[in-house]
Amino acid sequence: MERNSNDVRGLLSRMPDNTAFKQQRLPAWRSHLTAWAVLPGFFTTGAFFLGMGILLILSAKSVKEIEITYTSMCSNCAKLRENASNFYKECTCSVPFFIPEKMPGNVYMYYKLHNFYQNLRRYTISRNNRQLLGEDITNVENCAPFQRDSNGIPIAPCGAIANSMFNDTILLSYYPHSSTRINVPLLSSGITWWTDKHIKFQNPRSNNLPSAFTGTTKPPYWRKPVYQLDPENPENNGFLNNDFIVWMRVAALPTFKKLYRRIHRTGPFANGLPAGNYSFDIAYNFPVTVFKGEKGVVLSTVTWSGGSNLFLGIAYLTTGAVMWLAAFSMTAVHLKMKKRNIVSES
Amino acid sequence: MFLFQNNRIHTSKYNVLTFLPINLFEQFQRVANAYFLFLLILQLIPEISSLSWFTTIVPLVLVLTITAVKDATDDYFRHKSDNQVNNRLSEVLINGRLQSEKWMNVMAGDIIKLENNQFVAADLLLLSSSEPHGLCYIETAELDGETNLKVRHALPVTSELGTDISRLAKFDGVVACEPPNNKLDKFTGDLSWKDNKYPLNNEKIILRGCVLRNTSWCFGMVIFAGPDTKLMQNSGKTKFKRTSIDRLMNTLVLWIFGFLVCMGIILAIGNSIWEHQVGDYFRAFLFQDEVVKNSIFSGFLTFWSYIIILNTVVPISLYVSVEVIRLGHSYFINWDRKMYYSKKETLAEARTTTLNEELGQIEYVFSDKTGTLTQNIMTFNKCSINGKTYGILNQRSVILQEFSHNKKNSKFQFYDHSLVESIKLGDPKVHEFFRLLALCHTVMPEEKNEGKLIYQVQSPDEGALVTAARNFGFIFKSRTPETITVEEMGKVVTYQLLAFLDFNNIRKRMSVIGTNDTFEFGGEGLRTLAIAYRDLNEEYFKEWFKLLEEANREFDKRDECIAAAYEEIEKDMMLLGATAIEDKLQDGVIETIASLSLANIKIWVLTGDKQETAMNIGYSCNMLTDDMNEVFIISGHSAAEVWEELKKAKEILFGRSTGFTNGYAFCEKLQELKRGSTVEESVTGDYALIINGHSLGHALEANLQSEFLEIACICKTVICCRVTPLQKAQVVELVKEYRKAVTLAIGDGANDISMIKSAHIGVGISGQEGMQAVLASDYSFAQFRYLQRLLLVHGRWSYFRMCKFLCYFFYKNFAFTLVHFWFGFFCGFSAQTVYDQWFITLFNIVYTSLPILAMGIFDQDVSEQNSMDYPNLYRPGQLNLLFNKSKFFICIAHGVYTSFALFFIPYGVFYNLAGEDGKHIADYQSFAVTIATSLVIVVSVQIALDTSYWTVINHVFIWGSVATYFSILFTMHSDGIFDVFPNQFPFVGNARHSLTQKNIWLVILLTTVVSVMPVIAFRFIKVDLYPTLSDQIRQLQKVQDKARPLKSHRRQPRRTSSRRSGYAFAHQEGYGELITSGKNMRVKNLHPTSGLGKTMYNSTSWIENLCKKTTDTVNSFSLDRTVKL
Repeated sequence: MERNSNDVRGLLSRMPDNTAFKQQRLPAWRSHLTAWAVLPGFFTTGAFFLGMGILLILSAKSVKEIEITYTSMCSNCAKLRENASNFYKECTCSVPFFIPEKMPGNVYMYYKLHNFYQNLRRYTISRNNRQLLGEDITNVENCAPFQRDSNGIPIAPCGAIANSMFNDTILLSYYPHSSTRINVPLLSSGITWWTDKHIKFQNPRSNNLPSAFTGTTKPPYWRKPVYQLDPENPENNGFLNNDFIVWMRVAALPTFKKLYRRIHRTGPFANGLPAGNYSFDIAYNFPVTVFKGEKGVVLSTVTWSGGSNLFLGIAYLTTGAVMWLAAFSMTAVHLKMKKRNIVSES
Repeated sequence: MFLFQNNRIHTSKYNVLTFLPINLFEQFQRVANAYFLFLLILQLIPEISSLSWFTTIVPLVLVLTITAVKDATDDYFRHKSDNQVNNRLSEVLINGRLQSEKWMNVMAGDIIKLENNQFVAADLLLLSSSEPHGLCYIETAELDGETNLKVRHALPVTSELGTDISRLAKFDGVVACEPPNNKLDKFTGDLSWKDNKYPLNNEKIILRGCVLRNTSWCFGMVIFAGPDTKLMQNSGKTKFKRTSIDRLMNTLVLWIFGFLVCMGIILAIGNSIWEHQVGDYFRAFLFQDEVVKNSIFSGFLTFWSYIIILNTVVPISLYVSVEVIRLGHSYFINWDRKMYYSKKETLAEARTTTLNEELGQIEYVFSDKTGTLTQNIMTFNKCSINGKTYGILNQRSVILQEFSHNKKNSKFQFYDHSLVESIKLGDPKVHEFFRLLALCHTVMPEEKNEGKLIYQVQSPDEGALVTAARNFGFIFKSRTPETITVEEMGKVVTYQLLAFLDFNNIRKRMSVIGTNDTFEFGGEGLRTLAIAYRDLNEEYFKEWFKLLEEANREFDKRDECIAAAYEEIEKDMMLLGATAIEDKLQDGVIETIASLSLANIKIWVLTGDKQETAMNIGYSCNMLTDDMNEVFIISGHSAAEVWEELKKAKEILFGRSTGFTNGYAFCEKLQELKRGSTVEESVTGDYALIINGHSLGHALEANLQSEFLEIACICKTVICCRVTPLQKAQVVELVKEYRKAVTLAIGDGANDISMIKSAHIGVGISGQEGMQAVLASDYSFAQFRYLQRLLLVHGRWSYFRMCKFLCYFFYKNFAFTLVHFWFGFFCGFSAQTVYDQWFITLFNIVYTSLPILAMGIFDQDVSEQNSMDYPNLYRPGQLNLLFNKSKFFICIAHGVYTSFALFFIPYGVFYNLAGEDGKHIADYQSFAVTIATSLVIVVSVQIALDTSYWTVINHVFIWGSVATYFSILFTMHSDGIFDVFPNQFPFVGNARHSLTQKNIWLVILLTTVVSVMPVIAFRFIKVDLYPTLSDQIRQLQKVQDKARPLKSHRRQPRRTSSRRSGYAFAHQEGYGELITSGKNMRVKNLHPTSGLGKTMYNSTSWIENLCKKTTDTVNSFSLDRTVKL
């Protein structure tokens, strides 16, 4: 008897456990592409996409956008900038234009660069976030080839991105009448990401900004040191300069626009930009013709989906249409097959 | 100068110090790992480096670590077993005394004492033993897999030493011999002792790894120790089996590598052109004082940079993931309760964990018969004595026949009471019958303590006969060279043994000529089949014996002369009766074979048995049926005869129109065979081929093998009988080579090892005494019927899962990587990555690894029950439909398409994008996050679509992976981590800015739908228009309408033939010579011939009435027919 019970125990110990996992019997849902799931799914998704496409197109159409490429309009200045010896020479250029329809609400002013590869690998890595945090402004690691000047003084901000910063100044004027000229008030605040302004970029801790940057030199392409970028607003200087921060967020594609100013909604511009004659007064500093680039200004309003973006709407519309087409043909095939199955079974 | 080794063995590869260098060296010998090391070195060149070092090193280290841990555990177990072996104790003669010593300290020249059932520690020269004439018995199962005992004998001069320790201690012989080698059956050398030289051969040597049997002790001198022993010299590397998927995978990886180089070249050329047209000016502007570089050189550097970036198309984690999945499948096999044999407590075991998916592709099964299809338990269940048949099975009740006076074997079951009655009544013929059974054999009795009688049998059927006689009251007690003692119904009778005509394969019979007081007993028994006897008078015997002695003295034609002498006396026999030893089919064999044939798996039986037995088995398991069109039997003895027979078979198959090539144009023929099976399909009807061993030898010759193979492949059933182990392997190799089919060999015995090893997959039947087949096998289980489950369920699932895994894996990596390629055209081919470096590092190993592993391990398309019920589901595996080169290209195309959508939809949107607050969000980092998020979602949706069996684990892994992605994303974009490592995590704040924009989510949604929608539509249409069987059954499962089976796929195997049993025949040369030589007899056992009363029955007139058959006809007696007499 005792031996028997031993045997039973031995048997139990050798026998694999009867668990759902080990016996591959885990309760499971078997997925299956049934017509009841697929066809309605296609129809509803298609409908959603069609609707969304129409919505997106309508809202993209409602956005008022004006783009003015001024490289060719300011060809004198462009020529001047091609020669590096004219570095310190001023060149201004006025570009008149006409806004046919009122631009309601918030209006944003962007500069747009064509053929400017901010996404070149060596370019994108040529920066030092630690320096930009203001902790150690002489830290110019990774910033090649703009680490130090010829005297060995570290550059602040170092690196190719900072060095190539867009430095045109653009002013917008409104001509309600041919003789009257009103400068459109522009805001340089609120054009950066919150995290950039408050976390990623910090000025070195010091009461006096210029003294904080002693021991460093300005990037070679810059006219002014980093602590004098905005002579009007002392807060908007150093690494915390808004234009600088915007520039440092490198663009994904070789054609890009970056937010430059917001229209301050006061006075005649409280409801946006009225239709009429305008002009950009540009201090042309940024050379683009040397690399066959172009630059321009964009004025745009926004809607719930951002700026004017026809592509997304068209893509949604197309996808929705294709899905419906697919859904119809699938339904046809399915019904036909079902019929044939019934016939063959009977 | 030969350096003697001590007896310590090392099978382990590493020790603590050498582990790291050796293991790393080994791992970097693998192409994949070496490739990634190369990439790592490339990344250290700053001009080229396009990715941070950690993107490559993290996966590489992970892969290396997993492999190293596995290697380390393996080696740990080897260390453990080495230690265990090295620390075994044996008795060594040291300083004139026997002392226990560890094996590892034994040296060449030591004298060792071995005891019964001990393992031999080293290669020994046998000096003396407990048995007479310095004999000893060894079992060599561990060495060559043979289970029968072998005899070794010491030199007469040394066997005199006996157990005299002092003399043994003084033994100072010198052995000169060959250097260590791996030949197990050869030894040459000589022993110089006391000014004499004695030649040594293999008969005097006991090898390490043998076990001493039936010998209470022996002494031996160590000749080779440790690594020099033949066992260790033989333990070469076993052939590493690879699956066809493995080979395909290697090819594909090479192709992918070629593809990678192509992409690198395209991008490098693009870079050169871009540099020439735009870059030169632009760089001069951006980098000012930098020397303008040659655009060609720039292209060259770009090439390497892109090789680094795009390296993820050659997936480093592929091999590791495949191994993990296979390991999981192996565990499922080990855990399967339905493959657990409770009677023997034997689990199914996946001994090789790297072949699972090939189980789903088997086309040919080569099966042994005895012990594989049958139980290899011989039962004496019928006999015919004097024309009367006893023991017709009646199933209604089991009446155990009891005999008070013998120690009954409790397992013995015999159902016929009338036989017992006739014994009790003293029917002389019945008594004679059992007397013969008790006398005519080569069984060795062994009296254990408690008076238990154990029979040492060489073949199980012989044991069954002697045991049967014993159970009917004729107990074989002991034997000496000259006598056999039998207890007959309580009386002890000793017979004088005059001559012993041992069994051999040509005569197929064995005779014992003996006598008691009166010199007139003669008998001849055909061991398993017919029992006949002949009375001999003394003069005739003496004359004959003279003839035999002359024959023995003959030198040239000794064997022929002896055979002639045997033939002379073994004639004019009187048939006494016949026995039926049955080797029953295992449970479920018929169903399994039927089911496997429905799965289009061809089963060939390769057996060492004779044709009749093999055919009987063929009939009993429905492989042969009475309504078959034709059963070809090839049994020619010469090549010409075989050729003739094959020709005839072919004529029947194809009709006369098809010319039979004369065998020398076989090359073309083989080409044809390779091309496909068009010929086969033109033949209708069921045919079977039965071929004999000697015919097979001819059929396997180069000029006939194509014909043989062609005919064999058309036949529904192929049975090869009387084949040698080597031929078994040759047949397997033939099919493997010319059919390009996946083969599986299943067997239980040592003679199956060669075929188990040469087939793609070897299966051993475990739970029996011999473990050799199991040790050589890749899978083992206890019963043949589990093969069905192994192939149709586990194999099919494994194949299905592996194919799905591979498809998805390649798709995923292409979708992931090719985005860089598209981006190259918009970033001046500058080798800028699209994604964050951390994302590249983690994508394959964290974000997407677990869902795909879960699918690869747990997925099921149809339930196990349906897999068994619809064997046709097995077809796709055989045809290699689920993963092949075209499937691969479809996966790649799918991946390329997805990467295209993943890149160009965000591109179109980002081209002119502003945020809802007017801020600039078309920046590189937002672009990276958008594409990365889309990618993770797309591949997760895709795996969700691919997963057809959603267990909890799949849910957790799929949802968990997406959740993990987002949590890691937000962590890496958080303020805290940026404050600590501002240069390593520059994406601060990105997730929270971009992923709160409606635009970005619209992009992600669009990308996902565009990537996935065509797949769904395509699959839906495909299931609708061309549903596979799997689809149909899944539909069926869904409907839960299991009562309505598909007509065309379900066919009950027809049971047309009458149920027949398989009767087994032993065919090995027996111990006869040894017994009569008396060498194995102990002197103490030698009793004088007992004169106890014993009457012989001379009047055997009844037997003449029975039949007067010549021995020849008796020979070919099929038992099946006998029983039907």
